Amino acid sequence: MKVDPVTLEVVRGALTYIAEEMGIALRNSAYSPNIKERMDHSCAIFDPKRRLVAQAEHIPVHLGSMSYAVKMGLEHFREALGDGDMILFNDPYYSGTHLPDMTLIAPVYHEGELVAYVANKAHHSDVGGKTPGSLAGDATELFQEGIIIPPVKFVKAGEIDGELAELILSNVRTPKITMGDLRAQIAANNLGARRILELVEKYGVKRLHSAMEAVMDYSERRMRAEIGRMPEGSYEAEDYLEDTGVSDEPVKIKVKITIKGTNITFDYTGTDPQVEGPVNAPLGVTISGIYFTLICVTDPTIPINDGCYRPVSVIVPEGCLLNPRRPAPVAGGNVETSQRNVDVLLRAFAKIVPERVCAAGQGTMNNISVGGIDPETGKPWTFYETIAGGYGARLGMDGVDGIHVHMTNTMNTPIETIESYYPIRFLRYCLRRDSGGPGKWRGGCGIERSWMLLAPSATLSILAERSKIPPWGLFGGKPGAPGEYLLIKSSGETIRLRSKCTVRMERGDILVIRTPGGGGYGNPLERDPKLVLRDVLDGLVSLDSARRDYGVVIDPETMELDLEATRKLRENLSASERQMEGL
Amino acid sequence: MFRVSVDIGGTFTDLVAMDEEGNLTNIKVPTTPRRPEAGVLEAFRRFLESHRPEEVSMVVHATTIATNALFGQLELELPRAALITTRGFRDVIEIGRQRRPELYNLFFRRPRPLVSRRDRYEVDERIDSKGRVIKPLSRREVSSIAEKIRMEGIQTVAIGFLNSYANPIHEIEVKKIIESECPGVFVTASCEVSPEYREYERISTAVVNAVLMPIVHTYIGRLLEGLRRIGVRAPLYIMQSSGGLTPAEDVSHRPASIVESGPASGVVASTFYGRLLGLGDILSFDMGGTTAKAGAVRGGKPEMVTEYEVGGRVHKGRIVKGSGYPVRFPFIDLAECSAGGGTIAWVDEGGSLRVGPLSAGAHPGPACYGLGGGKPTITDANLLLGRLPNSLIGGRLRLDRRLAEEAVRREISEPLGIDVSEASSSIIRVANSLMAKILRIVSVERGYDPRDFTLIAFGGAGPMHACALAEELGISRIIVPINPGLFSALGLLVSDVKYTFVRALMAKVDEVEAERLETLFKELEHEGWRTLKKDGFTDDHIVFICEVDARYLGQSYELTIPAERPLTEAGVERLEASFHERHRLIYGYMERSEPVEIVNIRLTAIGLMEKPKPRRRRLEEAEPPRESLKGFRMVYFEDPDEYVRCPIYQRERLKPGNRVDGPLVVEQYDSTTVIYPGWSLLVDCYGNLKIEREGCHEG
Repeated sequence: MKVDPVTLEVVRGALTYIAEEMGIALRNSAYSPNIKERMDHSCAIFDPKRRLVAQAEHIPVHLGSMSYAVKMGLEHFREALGDGDMILFNDPYYSGTHLPDMTLIAPVYHEGELVAYVANKAHHSDVGGKTPGSLAGDATELFQEGIIIPPVKFVKAGEIDGELAELILSNVRTPKITMGDLRAQIAANNLGARRILELVEKYGVKRLHSAMEAVMDYSERRMRAEIGRMPEGSYEAEDYLEDTGVSDEPVKIKVKITIKGTNITFDYTGTDPQVEGPVNAPLGVTISGIYFTLICVTDPTIPINDGCYRPVSVIVPEGCLLNPRRPAPVAGGNVETSQRNVDVLLRAFAKIVPERVCAAGQGTMNNISVGGIDPETGKPWTFYETIAGGYGARLGMDGVDGIHVHMTNTMNTPIETIESYYPIRFLRYCLRRDSGGPGKWRGGCGIERSWMLLAPSATLSILAERSKIPPWGLFGGKPGAPGEYLLIKSSGETIRLRSKCTVRMERGDILVIRTPGGGGYGNPLERDPKLVLRDVLDGLVSLDSARRDYGVVIDPETMELDLEATRKLRENLSASERQMEGL
Repeated sequence: MFRVSVDIGGTFTDLVAMDEEGNLTNIKVPTTPRRPEAGVLEAFRRFLESHRPEEVSMVVHATTIATNALFGQLELELPRAALITTRGFRDVIEIGRQRRPELYNLFFRRPRPLVSRRDRYEVDERIDSKGRVIKPLSRREVSSIAEKIRMEGIQTVAIGFLNSYANPIHEIEVKKIIESECPGVFVTASCEVSPEYREYERISTAVVNAVLMPIVHTYIGRLLEGLRRIGVRAPLYIMQSSGGLTPAEDVSHRPASIVESGPASGVVASTFYGRLLGLGDILSFDMGGTTAKAGAVRGGKPEMVTEYEVGGRVHKGRIVKGSGYPVRFPFIDLAECSAGGGTIAWVDEGGSLRVGPLSAGAHPGPACYGLGGGKPTITDANLLLGRLPNSLIGGRLRLDRRLAEEAVRREISEPLGIDVSEASSSIIRVANSLMAKILRIVSVERGYDPRDFTLIAFGGAGPMHACALAEELGISRIIVPINPGLFSALGLLVSDVKYTFVRALMAKVDEVEAERLETLFKELEHEGWRTLKKDGFTDDHIVFICEVDARYLGQSYELTIPAERPLTEAGVERLEASFHERHRLIYGYMERSEPVEIVNIRLTAIGLMEKPKPRRRRLEEAEPPRESLKGFRMVYFEDPDEYVRCPIYQRERLKPGNRVDGPLVVEQYDSTTVIYPGWSLLVDCYGNLKIEREGCHEG
C-alpha cells in the first residue's frame, strides 16, 4: 500500500508525539529525582518487526541502545507476549546499557493482531550491588554492580507479578522509589499503547503499517543524502580512557570511518580488549555513540528511526572494550566510555567535516554516588548526580561553560532539594577559572562543586574520567584543564582521589570536585584581545593565562588592554612556537 | 462610558473601545517600535476625535515591552544589573540546570546571562534548609558592595540567597542596606517575587524582574504622563501573564509578572464567553497571521502553569527547557505552533510536505497578496480550496488566485507529483495536524478529554479551521464570536485585577495541622485584602482562591489542588483525597499509602471588575434573510474529498435565530468561517455563530 506524503507527515508527527507523551507521563509520575528532575529516560515505538519507528529521548546514550534492547530482549524472551503483558530487564548484555537502566517493553494488539511495540528505559537511582547508586568505580564483574534481571514477564495481563516485584525490591536499597519508578514506566507504556490504538481506529492497521514503513524510508533517504555529500575515503582516529578503575593502564579506543557513496562504516578493529574494571561499554552504548555523532555532524532534523541506521555498518570485535563478553562489569560504559567513544568519532569526523565538529568537551559525566544510613530515620539513603563541565570550542564559537556534553543531558538536582532531603551541605557551585582550553575560540570552563557531609559517615563513589589525559583542542587550540577530586578531612588533611574510586566519608569531611574544561579551537594567539579582556574581567581567565596562553597584556591596575605590548608579546610567542616546531 | 484596551502588535497597535453593552469599535495605527507609547497615544488621539476623554472609564494595556527586551530587541537595551548572592554560588544563574537546549546541535548557544559574571557579588551568609542561620550576614561586605554599585553606575540589583524560601531574613536585610545606601537603584529580593524552593528558578525570577524594572518603570511613566496630557485620567491597568490585571503604578515592582502580557487575553475572553453562554469547559483556539495558540478553561477558570521560560524557544508547541530565562509567576497555560495564515508550506529533501516554521508574515505575505511573496502559504491553500473569498477586509485586500496557484504548483505540486488541488488540501491537512497537537497539549496531556470541551475559535484564521480541528479531537460544539479578529482585545476588557501570594511550606499532609494551614491562609488573605483595598475594591468585589502545591513525598513536581476554607481537619483529608484523584487523572495511578507533601500554599486575590452586559436579542425565524445569501461557490471538503457547491453568507446580515446546515461559508469583515458537511449553524441571541455536529443542537 502506497502512502501519500500527507498521511506520512501526519502519522510521523503522531508517532513522535506518542513517544513524547509517554516520556512526559513517565517523568511526571516517577519518584526518583533521577527521572523527575534529570529526565534520565527515553520512550520509543517499534513496528512488529521490532524496528524503531519513533523515539523521544532525553539523553543520547539511549538513542541506539533502545533498538538494541528491543531486538535482543524480545529474541531472548521466546515465550509469546499477550495483550497486557510487559517484559522487564536490565541485563546489559540484552539491554545494551548498564544495570541501573531498566527497560520495559509492551506489545500492542488490535483484535488479536500485533500492531506495534512500545518501550521505555529509565535510569533507576539504585539497583543494588556493592555501592549505593550501583555505579561502583572498582567493580570487576557484573555481579558486583547490582541485581541482574534477564527479560522477564513483569506485567501479566495488566497485573504486576507480585513475586517478581518482591524479588527485585529485596535487592535494591530504596525499594519504594524503585517501585514508584517502575509504576511510572508501566503507566508510560499503557499510555503509548492506548494512543497507538487510537491511530489504528483512524487509519486501520494496514495503512498505519505502510505509513511506518514510509516514515523509515524517508529518514533513510535524508541520511543517505547527507552521507553522499561527504568526501569518500577512510579516516582514522584514536583516544584513551585514562584508567579502568582497577588498573592504572590507559585503554585505547580506535575507529576507522569509511565513506563510500551513501554508505558509512565504523570499524573499531584495533581497540583494546575488554578490561577488568567497570568501564567496558556494552554494544548498545557503542552504537548509541555512533548514531549520536552521525546525527550531530549531518542534520539533527532527520527523524530518528530505523531508516537512519540503514546506511550504517558497524564492526566491533567481540571481546574488546566496546563489545565485551559477559560477565565483564559495565557500569561506567554508559557514562564514561560512551563519552570517549564520541571524542574519538568527532576526532575522525574533524578530518571529514572540520567545520561541523567541536574540540573535545569535558569527556566525562562525573558520576558521584553517595549514601549511608540516615541518622534521623535509620533508613538507608542514596544520592546520585552527574556534574557538567566545559564544552569544546567550535569554529567561530567559544565552548559553553559549565554544561553537559554529548552523551548526557541530565539536569542537576537543585541544591535546595538536596539539602532538604540528604545530610549534605553545599559550599561552592561555580565555574573554574583557567579551565577552558585556550584557543582562537576558547573551550568552555569546568565547574567546581563542593559539599560537606553532615551524617556520621557515608560511602562515596566517583566514576569519572579526564583527570590525567585532558580534553584535546583542535587546529592549534590547547587542551582544557583536567578534572580534580579532593577529599578534605575534618582534620584538615587533603586527599587527592582517583577519578574512579569508592571511599568512606565521615562527618565534616568535604568533597571538592573540579570538572574538566573543554578544548580550544584554533591558535589562541589569534584570539581577539577584547574577548580575552572580557574573560579576565569576568574572572574566567587569569591575567597570567592571558599573557602566557593568549599573549595578551593587560594592565593589572587599570585592567585595560595594552595593545602594543600584546602585539610584541604575540610576535615573540609565535616565533618561539615556530622554533619549538622546528626542533 | 467606554473601557479602552490597547494592544501593541508587531505591525499594528490596536485600540479597542467597548461600551456598556459590550459593543466594540477598533482603531488601528502603525506600531512604533522605538517608542511604543507613541503609537498608543496616537491611537488615543484618533479615538478622541469622536469622543471626550471623560467618557473613558478605564484603560487596559497588554504590552510586549518586557518580552521584547528579553528577546534582545535592538531598541530596548537591558540595563546593567548586579546580583548579590551567597558566597560560592555566583554561577548558579549561569549554570542553570546544566542542560543543553538542543541534544544534537554541536553549535548550540546558551542564553546570555542577564547579569555579567563581574557584576555578581558574593557575601558571607548562610541559611540551612530548615531556615536556621548558620552563618550570619556580613553587613560590612554588603556596604562595600553598595559602594561598588554606586561607583559602577549599576541601575538595578537582584538579591538571591540559598534557602531564602525557608527564611528571607538576610535578603530583606540586604535590600534595606542597598536601598538606603544606593538611592534611585531598583532592588528585587528573590523571596519577594518567588518565595519557593529551587534556587536557580527563584534567583532567575529575581534577576529577570530586576533587569525589567528600569525599562518598565520608564515606559509606564511615559505612558501615564502622555495619557494625562491628552486628558485621559481613567485608571491604567496592565495585563499580567496570569490573565489578571494589575494597576500600572504597581507593575514597576513586579515587571516579571507581565512578560506574556498579550497572548493570555484570548483565553480570558474565552473564559468570559464561557460564563456568558453557560458553556462549561472550553478550548480556546486563536489563529492569526503567524502562529496558532491554544489554551484551556476548566470550571470557569483558565488553566495555569506556575513557571515559564521567557525569551525561550518553542519546539513542537512546548517551551524548550534551557533556551530562555525561567520565571516563576502564574502563567496562563498556552501551547503555540507556527501555523498562521502566512505560514509557508514546503517540500523537504526527503520528499515530505512540511508546513512552517517560516512565515511570510504580513509583508510580503502569502503569494496571493501579490506583494512579491512567491511562497505558498496556508492562506493560499485556503483560497485555492474556495474557502476564502477573492478579497478581504471589506474589499481592501484583493487576493490573486493565479499567484496562489503558481506558488503551490511550483513549490508543492511539481516536487510531489500531485495536482494543485490535492496539494492545497494536503497543506491544510498538515497544518491542521500541527494545530490539533497544540490543542492536545493543553487538554489530553493535562489529563482532560477534549470531547468534553467546547471550542471557541477566533483570530482572523481560526474560524476557517475550527470544524476540521473539532472533528480531529472529537469535539461537537464550536463557538465563533461576533468579532473573531477583536476577540483577544475583549479579553483585556473583561479581565479582573489579580494578585498571587505564595508561601513555601514543605510539610507532610498528615503531620501539618489544619489550624496552621488556616492561619497561613488567613495571613495571605489579609495581605490580599489589604492590597485590593488600596486599589479601591470594596469587600463585595473581593474574591480569594486558595490552593496548595502538593506531591507524593520524594517526587519533585507538584500538582496544584484547590483548598476549601475555612480549612478543618476534614478539609485537609478531602484535600489529600483530591490530590490522589488529580494524580490518577493526570498520571494514570495513585498511591493512597504514600505520604503527600504540601510544598507551597498559594492564594489568588481577585478584585472583580464590572462586566459588560451584552444585549440579548430576540431570536428571529430559522430561515436566514434572503439578502444574507451572497451566492454560491465550489468549496473543497476533506470528506467527501471533493469540491462541493456551497452557499456563502454575509455574517453582518444574519439574524439571531437563523439556522443553516453545512456545508456553508460565512464571510465577514475580519474573518471567514467554514462549516463542514455534517455540522449545522445557529446564530445565537448575541450574534455568535454556534456550530454543532448534526443532531447535537438543543433548543
